[in-house]
Order: sequence, then C-alpha cells, then structure tokens
Amino acid sequence: MNPETFLQLDRVIHEKGRLGIMSLLAASPDVAFTDLRDALGMTDGNLTTHIRTLQEAGYLSVAKSFQNNRPLTTCSLTAQGKKAFADYINLLEQIVQQNRGNK
Amino acid sequence: MLDEAGFVIQSERMQSDWAAENLQVIRTLMERSALYRRALAPIMLTVGVIGSLAGFAAFYLESRSVPTFIVFWLVTGGVALGTSFLLVRRQSMREGEPFWSPPTRRVALALAPPLVVGFLLAVLVLVSSFAERGWPFEPKALPGLWMILYGCAICSAGFFMARGIRFLGLLFSLCGLLSISLGSLDLDFPTLLVANICMAATFGGLHVAYGVYLYFTEKKKIAA
Repeated sequence: MNPETFLQLDRVIHEKGRLGIMSLLAASPDVAFTDLRDALGMTDGNLTTHIRTLQEAGYLSVAKSFQNNRPLTTCSLTAQGKKAFADYINLLEQIVQQNRGNK
Repeated sequence: MLDEAGFVIQSERMQSDWAAENLQVIRTLMERSALYRRALAPIMLTVGVIGSLAGFAAFYLESRSVPTFIVFWLVTGGVALGTSFLLVRRQSMREGEPFWSPPTRRVALALAPPLVVGFLLAVLVLVSSFAERGWPFEPKALPGLWMILYGCAICSAGFFMARGIRFLGLLFSLCGLLSISLGSLDLDFPTLLVANICMAATFGGLHVAYGVYLYFTEKKKIAA
C-alpha cells in the first residue's frame, strides 16, 4: 500500500468528534447545535471546540437565528467543507481498495 | 527487518480495517442524519389492523349517513395516528435516541400537508351537511380523495425513508383514482357499504400487506 495515501488524510476531519460532525452535516443542508450534540453524545463545550476548529479551517459555517423567540444555532458545511469531506471519503475508499488488491 | 517480520503488512491491514470501520461509521451517521430509521413493520401492521377492524365495525354498524361515515373514519385515522406516535416514541426511547430527531421532523413535515388537506375536505363536507347546503363535491369521491392524498403524503415522506415505501404511496394513490373512477360509473351498489369496503381494503389491507413484507425484509437488513 502506498503510505502517501494515508498521509494525505485531512488531519482536521480525521479526529473522531469532528468526523462525526462532518458526517452528520454532509447528509443534511443544516443541523441545529442541539441536534448535533444529542446525535453525537457530546457536551456543549466539546462540540463548541470542534465546531470552532472546523470553522477556522473554513469547512463549516454557523448561523444564529430565533425560533419561537428562542435562539437557534445551526451549522452547515461550506463548499470547501463538502469538498474536503468528499476527498477524505475517497482517500478512505482508496486505502480499503488498495488493501483488497494486496490480499 | 520489520518488513520481513510482517510488521508493515500487519499495519497495512490495521489501516485498512480502520478505514473500512471509519467508512461504516460515516455511513451510519449520515443515514442517522438524513434517513428516518425506525422499524416500520410494527407501525404498518398496527395501522393495518386498526383499519381492518374499523372496516368490520363499519360493516356491522351499518353507518347510513355521510356525516357518520366521515366522523367514524376521522376517529379511526386519529386512533391510528396516535398509536403510531406512541410506537415511534417507544422505539426511540428503547434505542436511547431523541424522539423528535431531524429525520422524524422531516417525515412529519412531509406527511402533514396532504393529511391536513384530507382532513379539511372532510370538515368541508361535514359543515355542508350540518348547514344543509349542497355538497361542495360528490361525497362518494371522498374515500378516493383520502387515498390519493394519503398516497401523496407517503410518497413525500418516502424521500426521507427507505425507498420501498414510495411504492406503497403510489399504490394508495392508484387505488384512490380507481375508487373515484368506479364511483363515477354510477354502479348499483349501496354507496356507503362500498366506501367502507374500499377504506378497509386500502387503509387496512394495504398496510397489513406492507407490514408483513417489512416484517421479513427489515430484519434481514438489520442482520446484514
């Protein structure tokens, strides 16, 4: 197997928590902060930290609005985030395929 | 030396296993975010049994007026909806997941418009009946309209569920069209009796048939 493939994996997405956030957001146009927290079983602080990291990488955008007079924070993937996630999946598939070829 | 000892090969396999596991986790999370995943077989079977029992009850009670027919089936629909709600809630509690999850919300929002229109059509006929005015449309078309609208509701919700359910929606809509077409033929049947049989056959029979199909296929999918 080409070790280069493994080294190309995006370190920002590669972390377990952030990968979970990216996966959930990749399947929906936007997801509320509370829904992300409940789905991933994270604490508010932990989720906020990961969201900030993804935001700084330009992969995720956060929108704040009001629903029924209550603040609502929603997250969505940016175009850059969608591309980075697609590249990450492609690389994982390559790793699996390469190993199948070696067997 | 490490290469000879199989270290590299082992780590390659570990990486591949890890990559495959990660892909599986990603797929599961994406499905959790996008698709409604509660088991539908118990819901379909329960709704089907309620529909069939209501059909038998309507047959033996011999509802003789249009308002009685409408109220009877609206109550049946309410009972079926309430029972489905409780079943979904029980499933989500058992799996330790939030009940009002984004996919559940999307399914509910997709179901709502056609179901509300069906309810309002029934109210329109009821109001006309109590006000002793002419019918806004032929009441015998109502079961057919309900089937068409229910089929549309299922088709819309099907975009957020397993693909097979859209076929059930299509079947309901086709049955509705058939029911309206037969109604326009002015066949010499007692209309309310035929209407009750149609309702029992579709809202009872179709749900039971689909529930039985899901009972065998859903388990296989989970095992795979």
